[in-house]
Amino acid sequence: MDLGYYPGCSLQQSSSLYDLQNRLIFNNIGINLKEIDDWNCCGATSAGKTDDFLAIAMPARNIGIASAQGIKEMVIPCSACYSRTLVAKNYLESNQEIKTQINSDLARKINGDVKISSILEVLLSALENGSFAEKFTKKLSLLKPVCYYGCMMTRFPFDVPVPDDIENPQGMEKVLDAVGVHAIDWNYKTACCGASAAVNDPETAMNLMAKIMKDAVERGANCMIVTCPMCQLNLDAHQDTFCKQNGIDERMPIFFITEVLGMAMNLGIKELQIDRHFIKGEQLFEELEEK
Amino acid sequence: MEPVLEFEQKEAKALRDEVIERSGQNLSACYQCRRCASACSVGDETGNLTPDRLIRMITTGDMEHALNNELVWKCVSCYACGTRCPNEIQTGRITETLKKMAKEKNLEPLNTKVAHFHHEFFNSGIRWGRVNEMEFMGFYEIKNFIDDIKNKNYNAIIDEIKTQSALAQKMVKQKRLHFGFTSAKGRKEIKKLLKKNTT
Repeated sequence: MDLGYYPGCSLQQSSSLYDLQNRLIFNNIGINLKEIDDWNCCGATSAGKTDDFLAIAMPARNIGIASAQGIKEMVIPCSACYSRTLVAKNYLESNQEIKTQINSDLARKINGDVKISSILEVLLSALENGSFAEKFTKKLSLLKPVCYYGCMMTRFPFDVPVPDDIENPQGMEKVLDAVGVHAIDWNYKTACCGASAAVNDPETAMNLMAKIMKDAVERGANCMIVTCPMCQLNLDAHQDTFCKQNGIDERMPIFFITEVLGMAMNLGIKELQIDRHFIKGEQLFEELEEK
Repeated sequence: MEPVLEFEQKEAKALRDEVIERSGQNLSACYQCRRCASACSVGDETGNLTPDRLIRMITTGDMEHALNNELVWKCVSCYACGTRCPNEIQTGRITETLKKMAKEKNLEPLNTKVAHFHHEFFNSGIRWGRVNEMEFMGFYEIKNFIDDIKNKNYNAIIDEIKTQSALAQKMVKQKRLHFGFTSAKGRKEIKKLLKKNTT
């Protein structure tokens, strides 16, 4: 099965490990990721604060490329890119005039429907189709994770169809269940990590991340599982800082869901580049047993 | 009976209408139930300024405070307020709109670093078609340093260099700092769209 793929800027740079992991995992479950040609930045949340028209037009160009390449569904692993692209698609469907205006400047125009999916939607439907479970041969018995979704998987600045429960999403838990990893229930799964505030307003961001960390620790988690590269980098790179500032002694690795799936598929730590974390988590994948 | 609050109806309407139009949020529907206030991620950081208060500032025409306050510049666009709002008012969109209005009026933002960050991130995306993390961070820090020099706040420069170089060192160690350059040919199309929008 072919699926359109939009990696986005972060997956080419600070989170290139996540790009590599996505390609490996999807390939292993028989999904061929087809990266769309000459994609551009989605504008992230910065465009919405700077220029409303470009905040729609930037992801619109990517939808146009996918549409011209005959792609019916495009998966976007980064939450910000996913959110901005999904919002642009739905905005343009209800604002035909702006769609025409943008299309007139695009070489590859938006024409027809391209479904915009998060990796959870793709993984869940692969699960339903049964192309999935037999790939997981290793038991990850040391993991006691909480699943952290952050903001952009369920909350949008425009009315879009949301594929999961807004207040208590379950997509990651369901995928992990299929691998035999049972996540711990907690209160902060859709809280905000502060995103770019970690750079431009660190005091605020560190406070937000400390609240998330405290609940995860109190629930007895030994790792956090995420899908968003921004959340991953923030909670990982700044963990020492916000824990020290807030009297938290514990530390826990922040895993991409693709790392857990990859290890359960018997791929290696080096192959998945799990060794590129600030808070080390390799020890939780030791002594893997056959399922 | 004395009125609790007096305000200029006409000015208030002009401000309210502009924010409604640009944010796409019908803030006239707000009945001050304050579900947004309990949802706000940065509620602990903004003093008493919650989304409902911001909406009231706008509807009463208090332009000066509406454009420059803790909530506008601390809002992290988590969109929790709008998700909980029974009237579907996305205040996250309102703070984004007020940031743009403040810039158009050349107001000095309460937190200049927030404004510089989003401006430079967006500019990098337009300039190259893709955001180059190191490049945009460089421009962002130069803007901060210029502000700090203007304000003779030299310690802030030293602190920022220390913090960012410590982080950069950690990132290099984990191979999370990317030294290559990325761009999209399509940046020409994006620039054309930008020009169309401003003319």
